[in-house]
Amino acid sequence: MAHPGRALRHPFPPPVNDSHATPDEWLKALPGRAARHFRLLRLLAPLTGALIVAQAWLLARIVDSAAFAGEALDSLTPWLLALLPVILLRFLAQWRSERLADLAAAQVKRELRDELIERIAQAGPVHLANQQSGRLAAGLIDAVEAIDPFLARYLPARILMGMVPLVILMVVLPTDWISGIVLLVTAPLVPLFMTLIGRQAERLNQRQWRELARMGGYFLNVLQALPTLKMFNASRREGTRIARVSEDFRRSTMQVLRVAFLTSAVLEFLAAISIALIAVFIGFRLLDGEMAFFHGFFVLLLAPEFYQPLRNFGVQNHARMEAVAAAEQIGRILSLPITSPQSTATTAADDYSGTLSVQGVYFAYGDDRTVLEDLSLEIAPREHLAVVGRSGAGKSTLVNLLLGFIEPDEGSILVGDRPLNACSLAAWRGHIGWVPQRARLFHGSVADNIRLGAPDASMTQVRRAAEAAHALAFIERLPEGFDTLVGEGGQGLSGGQVQRIALARALVRRPDWLLLDEPTAHLDHETERAILETIEALRGRCGIVTIAHRLETLRRADRILVMDRARIVQSGTFEELSRAPGPFAELLHDPAEILP
Amino acid sequence: MIGRLLRLYRPHLGWLALGTLLALATLLANIGLLTLSGWFIAAMAAAGLTGTAINYFTPAAIIRGLAMIRTGGRYGERLLTHEATFRLIAGLRSWFYQRIEPLAPAGLAELRSGDLLGRLQKDIDRLDAVYLRILMPLVVALLAVALTVFFISLYSPVLALILCLLLLVGGLLLPLWVWHGSRSRGPREVELAGRLRTEAIDLAQGMAELQAYGADRQWIERWQQSAHALVQTQDERRRPQSLSGPALILLAHLAVFATLLIAVPLLRSDLLAPPQLAMLALCAIACFEAITPLPQAFASLSETAEAARRLFGIVDRRPPIEEPSNPRPVPETGEVRFEGVTLRYAPQLPPALDSIELRLPQNSLTLLTGPSGAGKTSVVNLLLRFLDPSEGCIRFAGQDLRAFDSDHWRQRITVVSQDAQLIAGTIRDNLLLGRPDADQGELLAACRQAHILDFIESLPDGLDTWVGETGVNLSGGQARRIAIARALLKSAPLVLLDEPTEGLDRATEREVVEALRSLLQDRTVLLISHRPLPLGEPDQILYLEEGRLRPDD
Repeated sequence: MAHPGRALRHPFPPPVNDSHATPDEWLKALPGRAARHFRLLRLLAPLTGALIVAQAWLLARIVDSAAFAGEALDSLTPWLLALLPVILLRFLAQWRSERLADLAAAQVKRELRDELIERIAQAGPVHLANQQSGRLAAGLIDAVEAIDPFLARYLPARILMGMVPLVILMVVLPTDWISGIVLLVTAPLVPLFMTLIGRQAERLNQRQWRELARMGGYFLNVLQALPTLKMFNASRREGTRIARVSEDFRRSTMQVLRVAFLTSAVLEFLAAISIALIAVFIGFRLLDGEMAFFHGFFVLLLAPEFYQPLRNFGVQNHARMEAVAAAEQIGRILSLPITSPQSTATTAADDYSGTLSVQGVYFAYGDDRTVLEDLSLEIAPREHLAVVGRSGAGKSTLVNLLLGFIEPDEGSILVGDRPLNACSLAAWRGHIGWVPQRARLFHGSVADNIRLGAPDASMTQVRRAAEAAHALAFIERLPEGFDTLVGEGGQGLSGGQVQRIALARALVRRPDWLLLDEPTAHLDHETERAILETIEALRGRCGIVTIAHRLETLRRADRILVMDRARIVQSGTFEELSRAPGPFAELLHDPAEILP
Repeated sequence: MIGRLLRLYRPHLGWLALGTLLALATLLANIGLLTLSGWFIAAMAAAGLTGTAINYFTPAAIIRGLAMIRTGGRYGERLLTHEATFRLIAGLRSWFYQRIEPLAPAGLAELRSGDLLGRLQKDIDRLDAVYLRILMPLVVALLAVALTVFFISLYSPVLALILCLLLLVGGLLLPLWVWHGSRSRGPREVELAGRLRTEAIDLAQGMAELQAYGADRQWIERWQQSAHALVQTQDERRRPQSLSGPALILLAHLAVFATLLIAVPLLRSDLLAPPQLAMLALCAIACFEAITPLPQAFASLSETAEAARRLFGIVDRRPPIEEPSNPRPVPETGEVRFEGVTLRYAPQLPPALDSIELRLPQNSLTLLTGPSGAGKTSVVNLLLRFLDPSEGCIRFAGQDLRAFDSDHWRQRITVVSQDAQLIAGTIRDNLLLGRPDADQGELLAACRQAHILDFIESLPDGLDTWVGETGVNLSGGQARRIAIARALLKSAPLVLLDEPTEGLDRATEREVVEALRSLLQDRTVLLISHRPLPLGEPDQILYLEEGRLRPDD
């Protein structure tokens, strides 16, 4: 699909968008999209903490009474009965928290994808032609998916980490201040250590995401280029490169994981050492009779629960790093320039068949290369205008302007007497039939593809359009006729057949204006002639703008414009132009040209 | 299918077994640590109360040792198992590519490239779960549970039995329930994600047409609906999963509860010492760690199986052509002959080519013409051996093309076609496709012959200029002339021109024709075009219509 970007020699410069937040800031704002869920999660956290303490207290009480006070099961019954609801409540609180986190993530993912696809649409076809679509798809699907663990696991883990250890500490300190101090001293080491390692890990992780996106882009290119590679015997050779790229990716994956594993190993080590320390202190005081077993056991039961949320947070920290990297990917989509004109007009005029006038239009793509310079022209209703000129003369840009894919930098385009930017673009385009140089068929049936711009068209209308485009005969020979599935790039159909389906697609709308970008490219001689007849048949029924290089097309045009280096250099009928000396006559009398 | 997957794992078996052993050691160290700590504290307290002496050095040393094994073991195990798995994954990617390469392009025709990309990237990634998340946790859990239950049965067989039951509920029933919930949704998720990806690529690449035809809103909304459906399916699958974690903890606590109920009477009847009560209580909690990963393991089972099914589905396709086991050397030059060549894309379809007889004499120029859909592209596909004839044969210098290795045969052909697009990469990358060992001088000479040198030299990066996703940063004529320079570098005796000037304006077409002239000197040329090009008088003109050659008129 090369048409809208064809005239671009260089891609757009990177977009400047100061209002866009850094990945970190963007991530911080993310939970706000599911604020209610996260508020509830924050309420459940202290409850969980309290239940943990209650459970440990009851357990310690029962074991102490049974082991050291020699109490029988009967006298322990009230404690045992109290233990059951605590266990059950803890289960319920935890379950609810997990559900809430999942629901929050689901909601944010839905909203995000909705937004991102809209942004891609706003970037407009001309800009999209320069984007790696594999990368965009990875942003829409994988990057958004990578946000999920951040919302569903990392943030809840952080909420628990902020609350549960605090509750436990408040109980342990008055019970046994020595153990309390150990907990108090070691706890801050966890976040401290994580920030230290985290920075390095984060850099690695962002690089990893870029690698993943690059690998995806590379694989897509290879897969799309397989026929070409095969023609040049390079497809088997490419296998070594695939192996190398995969191997490089594995190596960088392992680099990231090594850091992540080290982080959690150190965290676990910290927790293990602290618990051992607490156990030893308690043990010796128990031996010396300085402490009651109940208190010792109670604290010992709480110690792992104190570190559990910290450790869990350490494990989930990986999710945050992935999310930061994914946010970068998503940011790339969010900062796509809005090149599609954002027409605010919604009122649609009924009539778009009036004179089309281009008045003093200047246009340059991002790199300051002026493509159109002070271009003015008028196209009368139902006129057949042909535009000729070398590649890069600005012909395709003219078509892009007329379709409203881009807006003039200066000057204006009028439909009748209404400026194009005051019209509803959708309504205006509804009156155009456009056949690009290399039409694209979408995944779906042939009929669906013809109906693309006229979803309500009846089968009869579709058939009639196909007939007018000289596509009916071959469509009927397809295994399932109009219901045959066609896909990306129109696989299974020849270039000429795709082009004729595209023409049928344009005709079925009964357009006021037909924009044809090299309409007979890819078509064999006979069909070309037939299609020219179709165009001839449309004469007087709609305006036709043809970008052409075949003399046959030109001869039948009412008027020919010759463009060269961003300007119109000649204008007139075929007879006038061929008689007068000038660029057109030069083209015409070139010995290398053959009149068909 | 599982068996086939495991066969792919075989070369890494040693590493994988070692990783599993380490994981088991780590887990046992952890259970032992908690169990011993409980005993230790209670024993110390009992000694304190009764004033008896106690050897605390040995248990303290064991506790330290277990803590170390736990931390180090986990780190080592993760490193080892992930290293082994990702080595395997990287290997699978080239394995998959090597399997699909012979299929392209004819054998993959109905697959969209986004779909293939999904398989090459995502589906293969999903296979990492087979060992990391399914096999290893399962084996480790089985062994650890057996050992723990045996240990507890030494103190109380009844308690061991109850524990066993609770572990079965948590380690088998719960995971099975989760698996049941995800079984149908897993494949649907993979399918939805695949569809989203291909539709996103369709949207991004086809935005121009969608907007021009006012279908963009409808397509975007449809995409959004699919995206919502994906999230919905994921959520349905996760519902049982989000229960399984808390449920496992509930079961662990119930196990402690049961321990108290059973052990307290044992204590009273002196069948159990007080420190052993604390020990058993903590052991009961700890052993649930063994089955914690199992619900997740079962949940990813169906997803993984689906990914594997999709991969094998492609790998198992029959290549459209068969390479000979003993390929013959391809003669340097010769005449190409089609002898009664018939080509059918499917048995029920009418033949795309029907009993074609044609000769391309050495160093001749043949023009093959006819309406689109007449079978011209099929001729190209046959000559390039993307396909082999259904009947009849094609000979080069008297030998059947099927006797040659297809890559060796293609070395004799240079193609300039409307489909031979530039690959993403620099201009140099593209040129080097034609002759991988070409030096700078040869590259520049080819560009000069193709009339593209001035343009390339005007670019700031020259030959190293990146040409975008499908070479979109160039005009059609420029791209075509680079393709011609590439073809010139290849210097093969047979030249195939498939509509070489399609879609170019007159002036550009003339330049391209100029560029082509130097390519055609002293070569056998087949020009496929629906009209003559000023390339010189053809030696023969063939007219193809509905798969048959029309007799000379």
